[in-house]
Amino acid sequence: MRLGLRQYRAMVRKDIIAELRTKEMVVSMFLFVVLAMIVFHYAFTARGSVRMSLLTGGMLWVVFLFGALLGLNRSFVHEKDEGCLDGLLLCPVDRVTIFLSKMTANLVFLALIQLLAVPVFLLFFSTADVVAHLPALIVLVIVADLGIVTLGTLLATISMNTRSRDLLLPILFLPLIIPLLIAVASGTAKVFNGEAGLASLLGVLVFLVVYDAVFLVLAYGTYDFAIGE
Amino acid sequence: MESATSAVAGASRPGIMRIGVTTAVFAAAGALLAIGLLLAFWWAPTDASAMGFSQKIFYYHAPIAETALLSFGIAFVAGILYLRRQDARYDRLGVAAVRLGLLFSGLVMATGMIWGKAAWGVFWAWEPRLTTFLIACLLYAGYFVLRGTVEEESRRATYSALFAIIAFVDVPITFFATRLLPEGLHPVVIRPGSSGMDHRDFIAFMLSMAGMTLLLVGMLRIEIGIEALREELQYLKNRLGR
Repeated sequence: MRLGLRQYRAMVRKDIIAELRTKEMVVSMFLFVVLAMIVFHYAFTARGSVRMSLLTGGMLWVVFLFGALLGLNRSFVHEKDEGCLDGLLLCPVDRVTIFLSKMTANLVFLALIQLLAVPVFLLFFSTADVVAHLPALIVLVIVADLGIVTLGTLLATISMNTRSRDLLLPILFLPLIIPLLIAVASGTAKVFNGEAGLASLLGVLVFLVVYDAVFLVLAYGTYDFAIGE
Repeated sequence: MESATSAVAGASRPGIMRIGVTTAVFAAAGALLAIGLLLAFWWAPTDASAMGFSQKIFYYHAPIAETALLSFGIAFVAGILYLRRQDARYDRLGVAAVRLGLLFSGLVMATGMIWGKAAWGVFWAWEPRLTTFLIACLLYAGYFVLRGTVEEESRRATYSALFAIIAFVDVPITFFATRLLPEGLHPVVIRPGSSGMDHRDFIAFMLSMAGMTLLLVGMLRIEIGIEALREELQYLKNRLGR
């Protein structure tokens, strides 16, 4: 157990150091997210002004989902191309530890993007006093992120081993993530409309926690098969 | 089809026996479906609510929906069995089940839209069950994209099994999520406690259900046979190529 923890930490550290050297993934994710916001703005306001606060909950998560897809696709491509994955698989490391470390690294990158992007988003689109509801928003984001990276890391592992690689991931990932999107978008919309404390979000939060738990268990049970020999 | 099976499979396989069973299953399915529909139209009372006559499609629509879910369930079980035993038979069963589940899901949406037009006045409503089937269709369509992009057989089978498991777990979650949102048009027919149906409705419905399930069983048998033939063909092609 102690050993597993040390291996886990080392692998997370490896991913973060590798990213810090180039910063290409985080920078492109961030740019993508901001660009998507601008695209949304003009797509929705083509016919004059609309009340954007009705749309912002969903918009925010569409932006994050596609941004996360960008990162998830990258997360294994490096490993595969540079032969790092083969090295990892040869190490006496539990496959599940590999999964957990990869998942954690993806979570760190996604959270970093969100930390930078949410203020921009609020600046662009929100008129509500979100600061008062910040704790609720943060809890929502954390619980939803966990689901996104759990499912995303599992599916990215599968798609990296196929011929079409990054083409396949969105096709597998998006239909599976729709339930999470439904829940988190409706929760976030409540926050942006200033009607949500933690209590009124309880239903959504419970749903998201169950979703996270289900896919964590699934990933735990099947990752050996996903990553291959 | 039948002659092709026995010709390629040769005498070593119990081809004739199997075709016999399949034919019997289809005959029973046809008879049950026909009787169920006849009873639905001429014996079961016309629905008292606003839906009236259009409710008759329920005897077709709901059994198809159950069959589609059953088919995905079979793929789920086949997936687990494949991962445990690594036997190609379960892979064939899984593909066949997903393909038929996809077919039946398409039919669910088609009959659902027809009913929707008659009962609600619109072909499409973002209604929990209909939406769940749409998402399931897209999800399981991805299953075939996945299969198409993996060449090595055992890996393809492993990933297919894995994805069939994940997808089947996701379907009820999706349904539940769509229910998180307000508004729903679907009638809740069978509530816990009361069946909500006249006994005549119930008998006609159950006959249709049994017929549709047998239809699935028969089609599965054929699909599995086709899948085996396809593999054999691929094997022969590869041998010729070298």
